[in-house]
Amino acid sequence: MSPTSRSERRSRSFKPDRDVVEWHGAYVRYDLVKEFLVALGVVALLVVLLTVAFSSPDETPVTVRSWSTNNPVDFAQTAITELDGTSESATYGPPYNTGSNDTQSIGFFSPEKWVGVHIPINTAQDFVIGPLRTLPDRPDVRAALDRYQAAPASQQQAWTAAYEKAVANATFSNGVLHVAPGSYGPVGAIIGDLTSMARSGALDGALVSSKQFYSTDYTKPLLFIADGNYLSDLAGAQHLQGNQWGMMNETGNYPGQAWLWLYTLWYQVPPMNSSSSGDLQVWAIMMLLSLVMILVPFIPGLRSVPRWSRVYRLIWRQHYRSLATAPGASAKT
Amino acid sequence: MSVIAAVSQFVLGALFDLNRPGHYVHWGFIQLSVANLVVIGIMIVLFVAAILIPYRREGGDR
Repeated sequence: MSPTSRSERRSRSFKPDRDVVEWHGAYVRYDLVKEFLVALGVVALLVVLLTVAFSSPDETPVTVRSWSTNNPVDFAQTAITELDGTSESATYGPPYNTGSNDTQSIGFFSPEKWVGVHIPINTAQDFVIGPLRTLPDRPDVRAALDRYQAAPASQQQAWTAAYEKAVANATFSNGVLHVAPGSYGPVGAIIGDLTSMARSGALDGALVSSKQFYSTDYTKPLLFIADGNYLSDLAGAQHLQGNQWGMMNETGNYPGQAWLWLYTLWYQVPPMNSSSSGDLQVWAIMMLLSLVMILVPFIPGLRSVPRWSRVYRLIWRQHYRSLATAPGASAKT
Repeated sequence: MSVIAAVSQFVLGALFDLNRPGHYVHWGFIQLSVANLVVIGIMIVLFVAAILIPYRREGGDR
């Protein structure tokens, strides 16, 4: 620092929101470690007592098996969109594929595009054809898959379009999916077999299979399940959907993530509530607000709010009262 | 249900079962669970209490 700037600093006026008066009064001993240990003990005791009294949420996990068992028609209607590549996952975009249906951006700012496709997912191959080929001793399934894959793209499209139309009015009874007859080639057998595979639980295993001994990557089943209406309907029934300010709710009568109230509030406000880049916009708002909070000591006006509001005098009122009553003393901030 | 199962369920089960359909307050786009409202209320009460409850007088530990 130059001598000039030092002298400037010495001569500048005192500002109470920026400068600090050196304390010349008395000091009181305080055991911070003791306070920490007491607080830790009290919180630990509270956690144990509340855990015993209230336990924890006990919702049954949603799996491909439970989905296809409870709503096989919705499963079949979703499976055909995975095969013909029109599902939300199939058209999502990065990081799963090159689509652009759900790519979010604010102007040039688009982290998804920048990162690119790094979890490649081909829904027809990964969700339908691949798992079905793992079924042992099923030459009929392999023959249907071979016929489908050997057909030209236009023929595949004609089959899937016809099946998608027919499955919209499908029913399910006696363990069998009933779809009106149509010219959908091997697609009916493929989706029917996939539905049976899902109901047996084998599809769950096929979707999470990995090279590691313990598989913890549930990306594929989660995407598959999320493409259907079953999970969404369950979330709606539990008031957990984003359009219900529900991201802060929890299942049943449990309190949820109440601290997310501000984050989730932005999803209810235009334009975020209807924007295709709502997630990114909400994230940007929260980052901006977080930055403002971090920089409060450096923002003139905002940093003076505590001094103006004088809440601190309410907290330390005994101190200021004693200063005011002390002989020859005046209460100063 | 066997006696052991009944006893273990009584001993290990939660005193208050919250795994039941929730209750909600609905006003426009605001839809809060009553459980969250209770937590928010407790947080406000604790905040006000932290401001208003006086510190111990001098002469104590601090």
